[in-house]
Amino acid sequence: MAESYRRSQWSNGLFVLPYLSVFLVLLVFPLVWGAWLSLHKVDLFGPGRFVGFGNYARVLADPVFLQALRNTIVFVVVSVPALVALGLFLALALNRTTRTTSFLRGLFFSSSVLSVTIVTLIWRFVFIPGDGLLAVASEAFGVQPVNFLSTSGWSLFSVGVATVWWCLGLPMMLFLAALQQIPNDLYEAAALDNASPWRVLTRVTLPSIARTIMLVTIIQIVMQFQLFGQAQLMTNGGPNGSSRPLVMYIYEVGFVRWDVGKAAAASEFLFLIILVAAMAQYIVSTRKSEAAE
Amino acid sequence: MRRFLLSTAALLALTCATSAQAQTKIELQRFFGACDADYATVTDVSKAVGECGIITSLVNKFEADNPDIDVNVTTVEWPGYDQLNAQLASGAAPDVVSMHYSAISDYQSRGLIDPIDDVLSAQGISPDSFTDAARGGVTKEGQMFGLPFDNWTMLFHVNLNLMKQAGLVNADGTPILPASADELIAQGKQFKEKTGKPYLVQILANETASYARVLYTLLQQQNADFFADPAKITLNTPEAKTIVEFMKKIKDEGLTTTGLDYAAAVTAFTNGDGGIAVNGTWLIGDFVAQSEKEGTPLAKGYTVYPVPQLYPGRDSTYADGHSWVLPHKDRTPEQTEAVGKLFKFLADNDFQWARTGHLPAVKAVFDMPEFKSLPHRDNIAEIAQTGRSLPGAVQRQFAIQDIIGEEVGAAVNGDKTVDEALSSAESRINDLLANI
Repeated sequence: MAESYRRSQWSNGLFVLPYLSVFLVLLVFPLVWGAWLSLHKVDLFGPGRFVGFGNYARVLADPVFLQALRNTIVFVVVSVPALVALGLFLALALNRTTRTTSFLRGLFFSSSVLSVTIVTLIWRFVFIPGDGLLAVASEAFGVQPVNFLSTSGWSLFSVGVATVWWCLGLPMMLFLAALQQIPNDLYEAAALDNASPWRVLTRVTLPSIARTIMLVTIIQIVMQFQLFGQAQLMTNGGPNGSSRPLVMYIYEVGFVRWDVGKAAAASEFLFLIILVAAMAQYIVSTRKSEAAE
Repeated sequence: MRRFLLSTAALLALTCATSAQAQTKIELQRFFGACDADYATVTDVSKAVGECGIITSLVNKFEADNPDIDVNVTTVEWPGYDQLNAQLASGAAPDVVSMHYSAISDYQSRGLIDPIDDVLSAQGISPDSFTDAARGGVTKEGQMFGLPFDNWTMLFHVNLNLMKQAGLVNADGTPILPASADELIAQGKQFKEKTGKPYLVQILANETASYARVLYTLLQQQNADFFADPAKITLNTPEAKTIVEFMKKIKDEGLTTTGLDYAAAVTAFTNGDGGIAVNGTWLIGDFVAQSEKEGTPLAKGYTVYPVPQLYPGRDSTYADGHSWVLPHKDRTPEQTEAVGKLFKFLADNDFQWARTGHLPAVKAVFDMPEFKSLPHRDNIAEIAQTGRSLPGAVQRQFAIQDIIGEEVGAAVNGDKTVDEALSSAESRINDLLANI
């Protein structure tokens, strides 16, 4: 420790300079600039005037913001457990080395490589009334079809289904990686003890991947709070704003209404929410490494 | 070897220099859709159908006629203003952009687009050659800020085959259209009873423009001055309430398609899923083409009329129009001249654009025999007089349209009461306008 410290020179810092400059220009500067903008009455095209926390007050008094916040929280609360549970289920089911499982892993992961435009196009074919898959199917069964994309409640649900389908690949892969880290001795010991499959799952498998479950949950919380493309392309936030997420609110206020100061203030609120989730991830991951030591 | 390398380099440099000299490049950004699969190489404009086909082949023809000009077209999703805003903010705006008359004041008031009077006069285009409505749409503070291309309104596109089945056709073959809100409900019920299909095909999902245009039209028909002050809307009024309740009744009685977005609504009408499509002038060309095909639900059974006068105040329809504007940026004199030539070409070919169904922006087109012989234009000629836009000084008209569409949609779908929706729309719009 002392030796390496004695030999350290300031010029060693140059090695981190490339990363540091990108980090400063693309992350720190926009962060500070966003906070600065949120204190100004400003549009996209020119200097504004300082209004203090006026934009924050306007955002908090805006029922549309509060509705978007509520929608986003509901979306995260429903979609994240679904992603974790389904991802875990698929990983458990496919944690074998046969040709079929390799093929199925690829298949389930393949949706993740599609762009949001393609994903929403596919799901619009399913949900659209009239000629949509679900409409045709429900008519075949003699049931009155639901207008999934234009009915309050159903619209956010539809966005959620498309999102889970799209995002399932990453949780599955992370769980698979974690499952393959579990030492085989544990399973052998469990087999010697004649443990039931359920007992093996709850006493060996799940405790061994508990950290990964937490990691996946936090990554998904951070990702799903940033929901935008699916909602914009499938429902345009409607009907009655019932599927408008926070990022879409920020986009509309900034780019459609040119009220960049207010949009920046709303972004700061979103930043705070995601910061809390990211800090949670940081705490979890540092505890893990301490435990390992 | 060295000589060979040098001469090759010199030749390359010369080729680049000549091609740079030969071709003036202008970036054109537009909506109207993408249809390169069908029209990428078409230069015979008379063969093109629909907005996308006609504008694509017009640009192709212009490039063929002017080999020294390269028009690089970028197609954006309608209406494309969010993208344009980002481009303007980052100093990367295209040279020519399609823009609604209703959006011009936003950009003009911030100095983001340039006046085009000099460009027009250099090409010998007189401002008087445009119709008053078209010229008024692009003129701000005495200067023209865009080349007017057309005027448009919402219309009643009628499936005559289904109307016959419903007994809603006169002896002379014209459709029986309502003359009041009550008549519309009564005829709608008759239509539904006889055909089992909804009377109206409306865009009620995933889009806000349609709700707003219908509301503006019916407010105008009641002489409601809802934008007496361009910075403040008055929507919490008996007139607006009557309209939204009427729209809700149409939906509640099952007289309209529900849950269809724009594309689905167009398809539903061509599939014969309803009697009357409430949609824009731009679809006339496409629907006429459908009606000329044997065996389609519209075969020999399509006609079109302005939105009927349903309230006794006055005959009026909300109107807007498309124009071509020049974002504020540095251009070479060659580029400015190339843009001028393009504008001249587009103005000279305004008849071709009028084949879409839009009203021409160039006066002379109205007198052309070719225009007069286009189908159904007699029926809708009156919109030149009855078409009315919002006051030119109203800013953020697209954002206002979004709010109205969302709130009126909520009332029509029963997610809010009519009073709640109108109050909410009014306060949201006034908050928006107060914070510009």
